[in-house]
Order: sequence, then structure tokens, then C-alpha cells
Amino acid sequence: MWDFIVERREQIAYNTFQHFNLVVQAVVVATVIGVALAVLIVRAPALQGVANALSAIGLTIPSFALVGLLLPVFSIGAFTAFVAVAFYAVLPVLRNSVVGLQGVDATLIESARGMGMSGFAVLWRVRLPLAWPVILAGVRISMQMSMGVAAIAAYVLGPGLGGYIFKGLAQIGGANAVNYALVGTLGVVVVALLADALLLLLGRLTISKGTRVA
Amino acid sequence: MTTDLSKAPEPTDSSGSTGSGGSISGAEILLEDVVKQYPGQKSPAVGSLSLTIPAGEIVMFVGPSGCGKTTSLKMINRLIEPTSGTIKIDGEDIRGKSETELRRKIGYVIQGGSLFPHMTVEKNIALVPKLLGWDKKRIDERVDELLDLVSLDPGRYRKRYPRELSGGQQQRVGVARGLAADPPVILMDEPFGAVDPITRQRLQDELLSIQRELRKTIVCVTHDIDEAIKLGDRILILQEGAQIAQYDTPEVVLGAPATEFVADFIGSGSSLKQLSLARVSEVELRKPTTATVGERVADVKQRAEAAGDRSVVVLDERGRPVGWPWLRQLKGDTVLEPTEDLVNIDLRSTLNDALDTMLSSSHGGAVVTGDRDQYLGVVVFDAVTEHIRSLEEEARD
Amino acid sequence: MTDLATAPASTVEQVDAPPGRKRRRLDRETTLMLVVPPILVVLAFIGYVVWRQNATLTGAELEQLKWSQVWSLIGQHARLTFVSSVLVVLVAVPLGIALTRGPIRKFSPFVVAFANAGQGAPSVGLIVLLAIWLGYGFWTAVISLTVYGLLPVLRNTITGLDGIDPTLVEAGRGLGMSSTAVLLRVELPLAVPVIMAGVRTALVLVVGTATLATFINGGGLGAILQTGISLFLPKLMVAGAVLVALLALLIEWLGRVLELVARPKGL
Repeated sequence: MWDFIVERREQIAYNTFQHFNLVVQAVVVATVIGVALAVLIVRAPALQGVANALSAIGLTIPSFALVGLLLPVFSIGAFTAFVAVAFYAVLPVLRNSVVGLQGVDATLIESARGMGMSGFAVLWRVRLPLAWPVILAGVRISMQMSMGVAAIAAYVLGPGLGGYIFKGLAQIGGANAVNYALVGTLGVVVVALLADALLLLLGRLTISKGTRVA
Repeated sequence: MTTDLSKAPEPTDSSGSTGSGGSISGAEILLEDVVKQYPGQKSPAVGSLSLTIPAGEIVMFVGPSGCGKTTSLKMINRLIEPTSGTIKIDGEDIRGKSETELRRKIGYVIQGGSLFPHMTVEKNIALVPKLLGWDKKRIDERVDELLDLVSLDPGRYRKRYPRELSGGQQQRVGVARGLAADPPVILMDEPFGAVDPITRQRLQDELLSIQRELRKTIVCVTHDIDEAIKLGDRILILQEGAQIAQYDTPEVVLGAPATEFVADFIGSGSSLKQLSLARVSEVELRKPTTATVGERVADVKQRAEAAGDRSVVVLDERGRPVGWPWLRQLKGDTVLEPTEDLVNIDLRSTLNDALDTMLSSSHGGAVVTGDRDQYLGVVVFDAVTEHIRSLEEEARD
Repeated sequence: MTDLATAPASTVEQVDAPPGRKRRRLDRETTLMLVVPPILVVLAFIGYVVWRQNATLTGAELEQLKWSQVWSLIGQHARLTFVSSVLVVLVAVPLGIALTRGPIRKFSPFVVAFANAGQGAPSVGLIVLLAIWLGYGFWTAVISLTVYGLLPVLRNTITGLDGIDPTLVEAGRGLGMSSTAVLLRVELPLAVPVIMAGVRTALVLVVGTATLATFINGGGLGAILQTGISLFLPKLMVAGAVLVALLALLIEWLGRVLELVARPKGL
């Protein structure tokens, strides 16, 4: 196992980075989309149930099925993987953003308006910062989920560590099958833990001391 | 109804609410036939309210819940848009400016302070000055000044987050934030509703002393009639639909409730409520015989008997009262410093506080002192009841 | 896909509903999710049938989309899901109960943390590794699906049991009930809504992951997708994806119905 890794260390490092890269990019895009949608949705209470239902339906669709649906449109490759990962990543962010934005104390919003803040200032300086811890929790869920989706997307030649898993599958019975599958699987676990740690750090840096729990 | 301002007595400086102090920095607010009708509701939340709020005064909006007092308040900074009617601040129609521009010139303080939990005390206070584009140095100075004003040490509290403050401190910061850009008008919505009674009393006293200095126009909504009496230069009592039941000084409202509704709302004990309104300084003081420590007892007794007094107030060499013995308690050759502690009351105390002291005194009165504890005289029950009676008569006229 | 994202809505319970009301008001999302998916599934399936009857299919497409083949794959997929889910409940609920009682209790944070980290492992990796170890086939697929579905039920069982008002447990003991009786008649019934939310989440995870069973000859609708992708036949890909998605929605819906039915009356 060790020799296997050492022999391929450059290639493994590259694929690990690619996996991380794909997921982070997709999650960043998803966060922007999710938060933006949530900002629109909380304006209309009637939309909230619909949005939650849609996101529940979205999360029900198996990722392998989504990949199959996207393939005819975007063809084989990294972009399909990106779209699939980003699709799932939007949903938890959206859901948590709605909850977080809704949870902001109405008197604080009124207070902000009463002080003469414009609608945008209220959103940017009061509502989003106060909802941020909840939004970030959603981003963490998205990130964890996306790691697995990215692995499956490797079946359509998406970048990253998933390729090793499918290589292991293809070579079952062969000498390196276990090594490939293990490197792929554990690699994803490691990347997931790393990404989560980074998000926790981001939370430390961006969540105001005044609203941090404990 | 005593809505006509020309009839209303001028607020008396001695009432303690305005007092002497800085020059008026507030602006007059005028409401003309202001109506708020919510769609789908039969009766308007506010039905044609006309009102003048004089510059530099505290006007308290009181009334039962749902009477439209908060709605009326929020129309002044356009958090709620009136259906019809005009509101003017300092002669200018508030619709002449954008909402945000208007609100930056009106302080807004609500229950619990409503501080933004993700911002430090400093950032909370600096918000409006920043919106107005003040430079950093000016903002910093202003934050220090305001924290001093609300009795919070800037060095200790600037960098704290709201959750690191007590309820009373949060409320103080809330007041400081409302004052931040030195607005002529401040709106308060149940500002001290979320704190315990003792803290509330202290905050009210602080607000009064701040107001003595700043003389802003303060419009304050409360459901607590006692708070209204204590803080208000004028009280606006509203009935359902923001109908004015009475708009007058606390003295008049208490002494001569305009309607049954007002009388009910004030509740029983309006004379007792008067007591927290009037100060000892308004009552005529009696001047019983005094003696100085070290004087000959025989001389003192002679003087007292000539004046018809059965007790004397003993002062020390610097004119501070130290005792109030009966004549028969004076023994020996010279007047000695009494061993018992004498409880004095300050000339600026409310009659309520004075009565407390009087009730525990065997003389049925209390010794009154002025600045630096100088002896001024004695206040007795009769003088207090006489004063209340005259207040009530004045109010009835 | 993930339990964290779907659990909150169903775990927020309105406990203090007036006692006289038999029917609890369902929030908008719950109502929508009970009504919309079955309609959607039926309509989409009708759409599929119409398309299937009119499409011109060739070789492999025809082979995979034969009705007998499709039904058999659906059956396999459902069986994979059902067997794994039952196993999940049989393992996770007792484990969760054990982890909330007595001396084992203190291990529960570690077990949950471990399970949480394990959830970060890609499902496809788990399946492939287990296949290398245990060989291809239905039961290997079932085992990996079971392992994958454990966490939500385990966690919700622990949360549900821990969330019960301790005075109720005390009251039960005070009435002379044994600890087993308190568990069976007080604690578990009260924890059922939370546990069932976990079961529904597990169902969704399992039905989705079962799509991958085809990689190790475990059967299921993933076969259509796999063939479609390997031979790059867009019709197969879309047809497979639609069928899998419809089945997943149906199972999710069944989970919601189950959740509603299993909820003790009065709660």
C-alpha cells in the first residue's frame, strides 16, 4: 500500500487537489446562488414552503441519476461533474439561508431601518451577518455532500479522486484493486475533513465574536 | 379635551423634567389630521390625529394596547406611512426627504436597546454617524462622549459585544446609539420595558438628567402611566384609534382627568401619583427654632418657648443639621452633638421620597437640606397636603 | 442525499398543540411534500410510458427498456432499499438505545463523531471496497447500503431519546414501571417522531445509493444508467435517470407517510 502511494505520489497529490478544487469551486458558486435565492425567497413567505419542498425533492434525486440526466446536455467531462456537484450543493445552502435570514429578530431589522439604513445596508450589514453562522452550517453540509457526489461524477470522467475508485472497480481481482479503491475512498475522507476544518476556520474568522456560540 | 396648547400651562422648570440646563436643541413636531388605515380593517388604526409636540420637550404617548400609540410614533420616522395627513418636523414635511435621510436625523430607541449582536458597543453607536459620512476621528470622539453621557466607561465598554453587557447597560448603549448623530428628535418605543424595576428607575433618572443637558424633542411610547408621569413634560393619553383622550402636563392630567377614560386609565391613587411629580422645593418649608452645637441649653429653651416650638433643630458649626430633639430631651449645660443619625432629605427629592422619611419620624416632618447639606428648614405633613390641594385646584381651573 | 439537510423541518415539532385538536396542522412544506411528489411521479411515469411507446429504440436501448427488464430492475431496486432499510433500523435503533443508557452512555459522542466522519466517505468507495472484500452480488450491496444508512437513524435515536423530558421518565419510574417498561411505553413512543425522521432520511440515502449497486452486480435501476453511459446512449441515460428519480421520490414519499402514520396520537 505504502509503495503504491509513494510510486504515484505526484499523480495522487494532483488528483487530490483536483477533487478539492472541483468541490470548492462548486460549493462557492452554490453558496452565492443559494444565498441569493434565499434573499429573494424570504421576501415572499408563500415561496418558502415551495422552496423547501423543491430542495427536498432535489436532494431525493440520486446523484448518479442526475449525472445521467446532465450527460446528454453537457457531454462527458469536468463540466458535467461541476454542474452535478453544484446542483446538490445549492440545496443545503439555500435551506439554511432561508432559515437563517428568517431567524433574524424582526425588531433588529426595524431598528436598523429606523436608524436610516437603506434596504441594501440592512441586508448586507445586519441580516446577512446575523444569518451567517446558519448559512455557514449549510455550506459545511454542502461541502461534505459534494465530496461524495464528485466521486460519483468521476464515472463520467470528472476530475479528482473518484477515478481511483472506479479504477479499483475495473481491476477487481487485480493486484492493485484494493490500493486504488482505498486511496480513492480515504483520499476523499481526508479531503472532506480538511475542507471542513477550513470551513470551521473560516467561521472563526468571519463570525462576529458577539454572535459566536461559546 | 385640553388639546389646545395655548391653554395648557407652561411646563414648570421646577418639576424637574426639563429643569434648567442647555438650550433647546430639539425641533417641533407637528401632526395634522394623520390617518393610518390598514387595508381590510374596518376602523383605522389611527383616525385623524392632530398634535403639536413642542421643541425640547418629552412627550409621552400612553394608552391601552392597540390604541395606536406605537403606530403614531412610527409614522414620525416613516417606518409606517400614513394613509393621509401631514407630519412636519421643524416646519418641514417629512415626505420631502427620502426615508433613510429622514431617519438618520431622528434617533430611534426601542425596547431592550435592540443592539446588533454582531457589532461591538462602539460599532453600534457609530452606525448612524458612519452612514452620515463622519470622519473616523469625529466618530471616535463622539462614541467616547456618548458612553460618558450614559455613564459607561468608554475604556471598558467600547470593545464589548452586547451579550457581554447587562440588560441595563444594553439599554444605555441603545440610548447612546439613538443620540449618536445628535438628532433633534428622538423616538422611543417602550425604551425601558425590558429591564427590572430598579434598573428602570435609574435609567429614567439618567434620561431626565441627559435631557436637562440636551433638551431634545423626545417622543416616547409607554404603557406604564407612572413612567409617563415621571418622564413626561406632557402626556398624550390615547384611546382606540389614537383618539386623543387628553394631552397635557402630568400635573393637569392627574389633577383634572379630562374624561372618565383618563381617570380610569390613571387608576386610583392619582393624588399619590402627584407625589412623585412634585418636589420638596415646591412646598413651603417651616423654620423651627435652631440651635448650634455648644450653645447654652437655657438660651435655646427660652428661644424655642418664645416661638412656641416644642423641638429644635440642632446644627453643627458649618450649618449642617445633625439632630432634631424635643426640648425635654435637651439636658445639661450646653447643646451636645446628638448620637442618633438624622435622616435629611434633599430639596430636590420628590414628595414621595419625603413622605417616606416623614412617616418614620416622630415629628411628623423631615429636615430639608440644600447644596452641601446646608440646613434649609423642615417639611411637615400639612404643608404637603396643602400643596397637593393647590395643585388639584390649579389643574381644575 | 444528506440527513442534516432534510432532518430539521421534520424534527421541529409543535408540541404544545391544544389537546382537543386531533389533526395537527401540518406546515406548508410537509403538506406540499405529501401531495406533490405522488402527483409528480404519476404524471412523469405516464409521460415516460407515452415516450416509451412512441420512441424508436435500437439494440441496447430496446434490450434495457423492455418492460419485463424494467419491472425486474425496479423490483431489485426496491428490494435492495427495503432489505437495507429494515437492517438499518434493526441495527441502529437498538444501538442508539444502548448508547443512551448506563455506562455505555459516555461513548455515544465518540460513536456519533465516528459515524459522522464515516459519512464523509464516498458511497461508491464503500461499495467497491466491500465488493473487493466480500465479492460481487446482492448481499454485498445490501451490507454497504446498510452501513451507509446507519448514521441518520442512530443519531436521531440518540437525539430523540435524549430529548425526552426527564420528569416524564421519573414519573414513569415513580408509577412503579421497570426501566424496560419506561423505555418501551414512555421513552420510545415519545422518540418515535424523531427516529422516524431519521428513518426517512436513511431511506432517501439508501434508495439513491442503491443506484450504484449495479457496479457490483447488485441489481437495480442503475443498470440502465450504467449501460447508457458506457455506450453513450442519451435515450438510455435519460430514461434510466427518470426512472431512478421517480422511484426515489416515491420512496421518499412513502417515508413521509410512514412518518405520519407512526407518530403516536396526541403528540
